[in-house]
Amino acid sequence: MNTTDIPLKDPAVSAAAGDTEQLERAYIDASTRVPVLMFYTSAIAWLIVGTILAMVVSFKLHSPDLFGDISFITWGRLRPAHMNVMVYGWASMAGMGTAVWLMARLCRSTLRFPLLIAAGAVFWNVGVLIGVGAILLGDSTGFQWLEFPRYVAVILFVAYTLMASWAVLMFRHRRGEQIYITQWYLLGAFLWFPWLYAAGQLMLFVVPVQGVLQSAVTWWYANNLLFLWFGAIALGTAYYMIPKVIGRPVYSYHLATIGFWTYALFSSWTGMTRLIDGPFPAWMVTASIAATILTIIPVATVGLNHHLTMQGYFPLLRYSPTLRFTVFGAMSYTVFSVIGVLISLRSVAAYVNFSQVSIAYTHLGLYAFFTMTIFGSMYYIVPRLVGREWRYGSLIKLHFWASAYGIGLMTLMLLVGGFTQGANLENPALPFSESIETVLPYLRGRSIAGILLTVSHFIFAYHFGLMLLGLGRTSTVPTFLNPVEAETSGGH
Amino acid sequence: MKGLAPLFLGIFGTFAFSWLGLTVIPTWQIGHLNPESDEEGTDIYPRPQSGMFKQGEHVYAANGCVYCHSQQVRADYIADDIERKWGTRRSTPRDYIFDRPVFLGKMRMGQDLANIGARAPAPEESPAPAQAASPASAAQGAAVSSSSVEASAKAGGPSSPASSPASSPAASPGSSPASADSPNASPPPGQRTGVASPSPGQMANTTPGGSSPVAPSGQTPGAPWPIQTAGLPPMYSAAWHHVHLYAPRSINPDSNMPSYRFLYEKRRIGGERSAEALQLSGSDAPPEGWEVIPTYDAKCVVAYLMGLNQSHPLKEVRSVGAAPATGGAPAPAVQGASAAPAAGGSPAAPKK
Repeated sequence: MNTTDIPLKDPAVSAAAGDTEQLERAYIDASTRVPVLMFYTSAIAWLIVGTILAMVVSFKLHSPDLFGDISFITWGRLRPAHMNVMVYGWASMAGMGTAVWLMARLCRSTLRFPLLIAAGAVFWNVGVLIGVGAILLGDSTGFQWLEFPRYVAVILFVAYTLMASWAVLMFRHRRGEQIYITQWYLLGAFLWFPWLYAAGQLMLFVVPVQGVLQSAVTWWYANNLLFLWFGAIALGTAYYMIPKVIGRPVYSYHLATIGFWTYALFSSWTGMTRLIDGPFPAWMVTASIAATILTIIPVATVGLNHHLTMQGYFPLLRYSPTLRFTVFGAMSYTVFSVIGVLISLRSVAAYVNFSQVSIAYTHLGLYAFFTMTIFGSMYYIVPRLVGREWRYGSLIKLHFWASAYGIGLMTLMLLVGGFTQGANLENPALPFSESIETVLPYLRGRSIAGILLTVSHFIFAYHFGLMLLGLGRTSTVPTFLNPVEAETSGGH
Repeated sequence: MKGLAPLFLGIFGTFAFSWLGLTVIPTWQIGHLNPESDEEGTDIYPRPQSGMFKQGEHVYAANGCVYCHSQQVRADYIADDIERKWGTRRSTPRDYIFDRPVFLGKMRMGQDLANIGARAPAPEESPAPAQAASPASAAQGAAVSSSSVEASAKAGGPSSPASSPASSPAASPGSSPASADSPNASPPPGQRTGVASPSPGQMANTTPGGSSPVAPSGQTPGAPWPIQTAGLPPMYSAAWHHVHLYAPRSINPDSNMPSYRFLYEKRRIGGERSAEALQLSGSDAPPEGWEVIPTYDAKCVVAYLMGLNQSHPLKEVRSVGAAPATGGAPAPAVQGASAAPAAGGSPAAPKK
């Protein structure tokens, strides 16, 4: 296929069929406008809230007297507030927005039952708002990733049920026999999340398990949320966006199948790697370590598939915002998984188990992999919803580089700092305080990375705001990152 | 894939597989542990906790202590937790059967707290001769967290004589056989909070400034941190915890722990100075005629900290203190026998 003339177009189809399909797509996109924009707007609002919280958390960690000693902004409350805003406010809502849009497109059906989704979004926002307030007021449950009190869990669950039932209904009304690989991931995510959430709530609050098993359930939940909810949405999105933008089918459908099932099977077993050497039967931890090592299979197949799809089309990264963010996310998935394998090996975990490395790992998964992929999908979807193109290519570029450098620096700081912290922690010749003093400079570096990310998020929020207000460009050509130079963009 | 059913079944199956494997089967295996006791049915461990302890647990959760402090001691052939004197044996599932929520923790920006209560000095020892500066501390400690401290006062029994800071490096983990053995020999009631196993470091305050010569010598394995500061209550006593929570940097200038002043109340002294008032110095001290007293939540969280104690031996794991270590470091080989599966409720776990 010749890509030199017009880069970044939809897959070539015959002219007549193309018109019909384009019309149909525009029609579907229009039907998703209100709910998806609702999700995106709330998500980005939460992103800004979470970013501000993150900055305070990051600075307070190395300057503990910052902002005084008021109970609701003490570090130990801000940190879970930040985490929950990002996980349930930003990431979940943004992911659901993208998933809803993809689902409608792939089912080739206009969005039915929009009220279900809109109600779900409202409930979800209310739930997160109350939950974060409860954490700040000192009503946290104390279970990591599940700090929201029980009454909030009920609200979130109602909200979620509305949305999941919508997804299933949509799926039933789909047109066409073929189920695309993205739909597998999305259907999986939509079903896994409620089961996970229900199982977590049930085993921690309704019929509480005894003692250390609470920790096992918590980390089982947290890791599965990361993989089966966020990871599945991001992978599904990447499987849609990359082929779509470059106008070429996925390299191997067979590889995609293997990747999906091995991903579902192995990544769901990885939770106990957070508890290595803890007070648990050895087999639990060993099983999780084995599963983590086996996640190399889905990583390799998915990575290879994306790579071979992209092959020859890498120069397009110069132009397409969507492609650039998505490919960054897809590559981060590999990095995230490889680091996950490394830090779950017993010999390494003995050093890094209680260090900043686990924070680096979570940020790699939730930010470098998931968030970047979702940013990419937003750059693709939002113009199709508001009927305008992004206003400034320069702002997109700035957003990308600030995000990329920010998360890169943050990961580097936390990984290197965490490894030295862990090494000092495991060196009994050094007093404990030494391990803290070693990591503090890295934490200051992390705060600088945080400033970069803050800048990038504010830029994105501003740009998105312009789009919402209808201030985007009216044009038939998407906004490119760089002016398209003829004859230079093609592959070989 | 053509049909929807296989896809749905696969999605459900992978989830169910992981749910059964990582939560249901473990619950079946170690989810119904009972406290352990000796043949006579006395010396039961662990025991349910006091109401103040439970309330303290809630304060601990609400203020996110778990994001910086772990509560688990790893085996000594894996990590140096025991060498750092964070415990005398590895933690087991049985230690946590009454904890809700359980705070195993994932980060050590602060010290491990699994045995912070065990490191507290026995109250009757507190007014050590050299501690003339703070005669009130013992009374204060007892008053502040009455439930736990008094329990440990009863249970503590005669503890081993204080070792001087200079001798602490050589005597480190294995130096307190008394602390690990005595509960066996004479099982005191109220065990969980009991067992005052004084850490060698706790007595450093008997010679103010005496701890400093140790540090530069470079042989401070598992040196207590922060180091006992002169003029403050004995380390890890209730009074010390209050000062530490209120003004962490008055105890260790480099500490990055947040201050929890909102758990304390500054009030004008009406008549006599309260016995609960914190012994603050320098810029943290309240102005003349004022005092800082802990709120109920602060007392509870300190009662909670004082109650964290896993020093009671358990059959399924070996306590390091029981086997006097040769030299500074405990021999890893000794631990080989009680390897990982010890964590389970498997009756076949090696006795020793």
